[in-house]
Amino acid sequence: MTIDWALLAANWPRLWNGFLVTILLSAIVLAISTPIALLLALGRGSKRWWLAWPAGIYVNVLRALPALVILYFTFYALPQFNLPMAPLWAAVLGLTLASAAYLAEDIRSGLLAVGTGQWAAAKALGLSVPRTVLRVILPQAIPVILPPYVTRVIIIVKGTSLASIVAVSELTGEAFALTSITYRPFDFLLAAAALYLVLTGFLAALQALAEGWLARRTSRPRIVAGALGT
Amino acid sequence: MELDFSILFLVWPRLLDGAWVTVQLTAVVLALATPLAVLVAVLRNIGFALLAWPLGLVSATFRGVPPLLILFIAFFGLPAFGLKLSPFAAAVIAMTAYMAFYFGEVFRGALLAVPAGTVQAATALGLSPLRIFFRIRLPQAVPSAIPPYISHATEVLKGTALTAAISVPELSGTANQLFAVTFRPFEVLLAIALIYGVLDGMLLTVQHLAERRFGSKVWGR
Repeated sequence: MTIDWALLAANWPRLWNGFLVTILLSAIVLAISTPIALLLALGRGSKRWWLAWPAGIYVNVLRALPALVILYFTFYALPQFNLPMAPLWAAVLGLTLASAAYLAEDIRSGLLAVGTGQWAAAKALGLSVPRTVLRVILPQAIPVILPPYVTRVIIIVKGTSLASIVAVSELTGEAFALTSITYRPFDFLLAAAALYLVLTGFLAALQALAEGWLARRTSRPRIVAGALGT
Repeated sequence: MELDFSILFLVWPRLLDGAWVTVQLTAVVLALATPLAVLVAVLRNIGFALLAWPLGLVSATFRGVPPLLILFIAFFGLPAFGLKLSPFAAAVIAMTAYMAFYFGEVFRGALLAVPAGTVQAATALGLSPLRIFFRIRLPQAVPSAIPPYISHATEVLKGTALTAAISVPELSGTANQLFAVTFRPFEVLLAIALIYGVLDGMLLTVQHLAERRFGSKVWGR
């Protein structure tokens, strides 16, 4: 069993295109699901039951289902309601719905790490809720959120491989197609694995850098934080 | 479009068959991956760099590649070595391989969290290394490992859905076949979502029972 490098080189453009689609798909899914996840996390912690309940139900139901089943819903079941979607958009929708639920939990644990006194202080100072979230809570929560967030991002990037099952030509899909065309059992699948490792390795390195940067930044004494008794 | 749930009465037996395969696959993978994961965690933990380094690299590789791709590599690649595998066997091998490393991280963290003083005390008392591991370290690591272990176990359960791609007749794959027969994907999907929910609930019940059984009796809890 050897790898046929010439064959691999000849088909490289297709694999590379799949790689780019994987990056694009991941980027779109993350860009949409992150703000939704923040809203879900804030909603779950709300005192208003009509915000907290739906958010809680959404997060727990979506996390109980295999991501593949959620993709089946958007790809196979939506056309039943006269909402046919192109494979790429069905995949974006399905992966976004699932990712938002998981990210919401990661963000919520970070928000909980910020003391309730901060909310009370911001309220006493007359800050509006959006202002409190953006200027008081999030700046303190982000260092806590970042490590689990990047871990989840890596899981989401790997999860985009599911899109191949609903006919999106991303990296796994292209590797699978090339495998069936060429009858080479290993070559393209291993090449795809290597490309995924580059991507996830890059994210892991980014995570380490960001954690180092944040550790240095937050270790510096900050007057405002000190005044609020944290 | 109107929904018609009566078709579920027709396809019910097939969904149950699929659910049974899902349960079997989950159980077999958990039974194989758990001891392997303990082994991986221990080998990475005993401070023997020649072993810890390559294992860490293999672990990072398996955890850095999509599970679906690992399934494809096992199913299409292993026959090239003369291993003729049924889809179920290929699924078991692939899922065990990557889950052993995900679980390995869980156990590694739990073992590292055991206070070093207890191990030193046991050493001072002259207990053998094996005895120290099984009677001192492992029992103390179990409580903190339970929550992440169960959440990874639900990942195994949900991960079995991927094996539909290599034609294992589990719940999601069965559902996919029924879409084409019934033309009612939504109703079928709602039914299997419910079944997955019940199976998830069973795992959470196990967690609850395990935490009650192991949680309170151990040091530090």
